[in-house]
Amino acid sequence: MNAARGSLCLKNVTVAYQGIEALAEVSLTLKPGEAAALIGLSGSGKTTLLNTCNALIQPTNGAVSIDGKKFSEMSSQELRYARSRIGFIHQSLSLVPNLRVIQNVVSGRLGQRSFLGGARDLLFPSTNVVEKVYEVLDSVGIAEKIYERTDRLSGGQQQRVAIARALFQDPLILLADEPISSVDPVRAKATISLIREICKKKGLTLCVSLHNLDLAKTFFPRLIGLQDGRLIFDKATETVGANEINKLFNLPDGCIDFGPLTSKPSMLGKSLE
Amino acid sequence: MKDHLIQLYRARPKTNFVRLSLLVMALLISYTWIGGGFLSSNNSIIQRTENLERFVGELKPYELRGESFNIYSYLSWAKTMMAEKGWQAAETTLAISVAAIVLGGILGNLLAIPASRNFASNFNRDHLNLSALLLAGPARLLLIFLRTIPEYVWAFLLLSLIGPNAWPLVLALALHNAGIIGKLSAEVIENLPDQPQVSLHSTGASRLQIMLTAVLPAALARLLLFFFYRWETCVREATILGMLGIVSLGFWIQDARARNFYDEMIFFILLGALIVVIGDVISTLVRTHIRRIF
Ligand SMILES: Nc1ncnc2c1ncn2[C@@H]1O[C@H](COP(=O)(O)OP(=O)(O)O)[C@@H](O)[C@H]1O
Ligand SMILES: [Mg+2]
Repeated sequence: MNAARGSLCLKNVTVAYQGIEALAEVSLTLKPGEAAALIGLSGSGKTTLLNTCNALIQPTNGAVSIDGKKFSEMSSQELRYARSRIGFIHQSLSLVPNLRVIQNVVSGRLGQRSFLGGARDLLFPSTNVVEKVYEVLDSVGIAEKIYERTDRLSGGQQQRVAIARALFQDPLILLADEPISSVDPVRAKATISLIREICKKKGLTLCVSLHNLDLAKTFFPRLIGLQDGRLIFDKATETVGANEINKLFNLPDGCIDFGPLTSKPSMLGKSLE
Repeated sequence: MKDHLIQLYRARPKTNFVRLSLLVMALLISYTWIGGGFLSSNNSIIQRTENLERFVGELKPYELRGESFNIYSYLSWAKTMMAEKGWQAAETTLAISVAAIVLGGILGNLLAIPASRNFASNFNRDHLNLSALLLAGPARLLLIFLRTIPEYVWAFLLLSLIGPNAWPLVLALALHNAGIIGKLSAEVIENLPDQPQVSLHSTGASRLQIMLTAVLPAALARLLLFFFYRWETCVREATILGMLGIVSLGFWIQDARARNFYDEMIFFILLGALIVVIGDVISTLVRTHIRRIF
């Protein structure tokens, strides 16, 4: 393996949907093991940015590279391998509802398996695999649900299954797109704290998009502010000033109907969406 | 308030589409009845009644005519009919339908995979790329071809190719139903929520792996529903296609009619109906069960 493991670099990345820029000239680097929170209003481009990081979206301009290698220059084999080392926790639930928890977790590693190997893991997992899944589920606190059908679990438990799946992948980089949007506030804090702890322990590079500023400030040493697809700031949490936060969440002129929750900086600790 | 409601009711958005189509339909129906010659007939009412009486009279088993009604003699007549031709024909009919739906189901679902645009485009959320068109296009054309040719025509063509055994019927039903099942399955696969598929794609899973892991479990219930629904139709069709000369029930119906043995004909028609009902019941039970467990 290379010396650099799990570094992520975006250079002047622009993404346009039908000519409209969702991301404009964004450059940022995450060093291996670093943790950052991506904050910004709904529609500011957080999902788009994260999706360029595992090549789900190809940038219109600029380049994304993992450990110094650009996605656009990878063969499909290399791309598959790179993707298999990037865990992604999606905004909406991305599990297969009528599979068992163990099967959903196992499916995280398909990118590293042949078709038959993957099918075997899914249908007749070896003791070794089962024990690994149990371990991962234990680390997110739902080990006893291993043989449960996934859609019988609560929203918060399903979110933990999604986290377990990403961890089972044995990733170098973990990306999470608003991983707490389907969880109540108490669970939200626990979930973010859990993700953060696991990444710290395993030395994973972590980038999480959040719409809860309090949590972002509490758990992440680095904040990345996005507004209308542009990078507004990217620095250590304690150096981010109140005026920068205000600017980030100020709505554009002529758009006043959003209600006090999103426009008044004093309420920013609450949900912004 | 009442006035206001009336006002709102009067001001409701109206479309004349329904009324217009009802009118067109009424006109069409009266036109076909009057113009299509359904009303005029050479037979007088009396003649028709006589025909009907004779027909009903001949429905009584030949051997039992002249006797007074006795349920046991009817039953023993039915028993001989079953022993002579009935069991064998019923068995053949069922066997043809099962073989046909198994073959058709396998072929249809295999073709449904490339025919689904999300599979063809590698679950990329961008359903309109070139590889999708190159893969899904031909697969869809093939499915259309298979299902637009009626079973009857398939059977007729295959009969002259393969000769008079059960295979032309089996293959005819299988090909036609493969076309239907393939289209229905492809539609189901395309309309599944794509989040699980995209997220597996983003972790490097191949499209066959995605098919097995995210698509098959989510679609299985509906695929099985289609399978059993089409099996029902296959039972019916296997009966009818026997009229082409293969020894299913339809053959004996046709045979009895040709010899003017109306008693035998009605017996086999009723037997066919019974088999179809049994098929329906089994299929409904299975489908209800599938709905419950998924
Ligand atoms: N598939 C798409 N097609 C067109 N526009 C899109 C698409 N996805 C996102 N957008 C637009 O890009 C902008 C950024 O969206 P997104 O990245 O989802 O923001 P966020 O995740 O911060 O809410 C939005 O204005 C959105 O409308
Ligand atoms: Mg988003």
